[in-house]
Amino acid sequence: MPAPATTYERIVYKNPSEYHYMKVRLEFQDCGVGLNAAQFKQLLISALKDLFGEVDAALPLDVLTYEEKTLSAILRICSSGLVKLWSSLTLLGSYKGKNCAFRVIQVSPFLLALSGNSRELVLN
Amino acid sequence: MVRFKHRYLLCEVVSDDPRCRLTLEDRVLGTLVRDTIARVHGTFGAAACSIGFAVRYLNAYTGIVLLRCRKEFYRLVWSALPFITYLENKGHRYPCFLNTLHVGGTIRTCQKFLIQYNRRQLLILLQNCTDEGEREAIQKSVTKSCLLEEESAGEELSDSGGEATAEPME
Repeated sequence: MPAPATTYERIVYKNPSEYHYMKVRLEFQDCGVGLNAAQFKQLLISALKDLFGEVDAALPLDVLTYEEKTLSAILRICSSGLVKLWSSLTLLGSYKGKNCAFRVIQVSPFLLALSGNSRELVLN
Repeated sequence: MVRFKHRYLLCEVVSDDPRCRLTLEDRVLGTLVRDTIARVHGTFGAAACSIGFAVRYLNAYTGIVLLRCRKEFYRLVWSALPFITYLENKGHRYPCFLNTLHVGGTIRTCQKFLIQYNRRQLLILLQNCTDEGEREAIQKSVTKSCLLEEESAGEELSDSGGEATAEPME
């Protein structure tokens, strides 16, 4: 028996978020190197300028939080610039002659997702 | 068919100084454009654009330059052209800018455009002309180019469309 014809209506809600948020940490090969927030942002912009030039060094990049002790930060970048920022962070090798590397811990289009990380979940 | 596709950018070097155009050389201009792309688009841009990059045609009298680049990256080259502000040759620096007239897929389309553009420029020059002798020279060039157009239906070398070398150097 043929099933009664049901009408379906599919609503596609395309709302790509404008910004992507990245949680990153800067690791130095030697200990004892400190940067303040302005120097950190300067480092990010110089990494972008190196790889992608002045046009992409002017991407609207924000450092939302920065901790000087752990050298970790939450960055906000517009979604079209995410790939460029991530690749320039990957290729950044040194700061003032000292070897360093960026570790990207988490990337998400929603800031709330960065507050909890299932890898750091502690189960009792 | 599998081949490398290019885009040809037809540009005009505009400058206040009349000596600027005479010092145009293809190697100088090539290095200038490459350095500007490296500054504006970084290492990525410099590498991407310099593979198929070449200065194909250069006319020092009219300041017309034809640049070639790969089709995938022609927008990087095109967007870097407004950042060129001066031409440096033998220690002399001349302020100038590059005006892009046409983007074509082949040299032949750029040639066709250049011929029409030069004809229009001749007519504009005729209007703005002040000296009687210059006026006669330009009128002769205009009639010659019109006759040639009727004759061969546009199959001319772009160099004869540069009967705009009759263009008076002020």
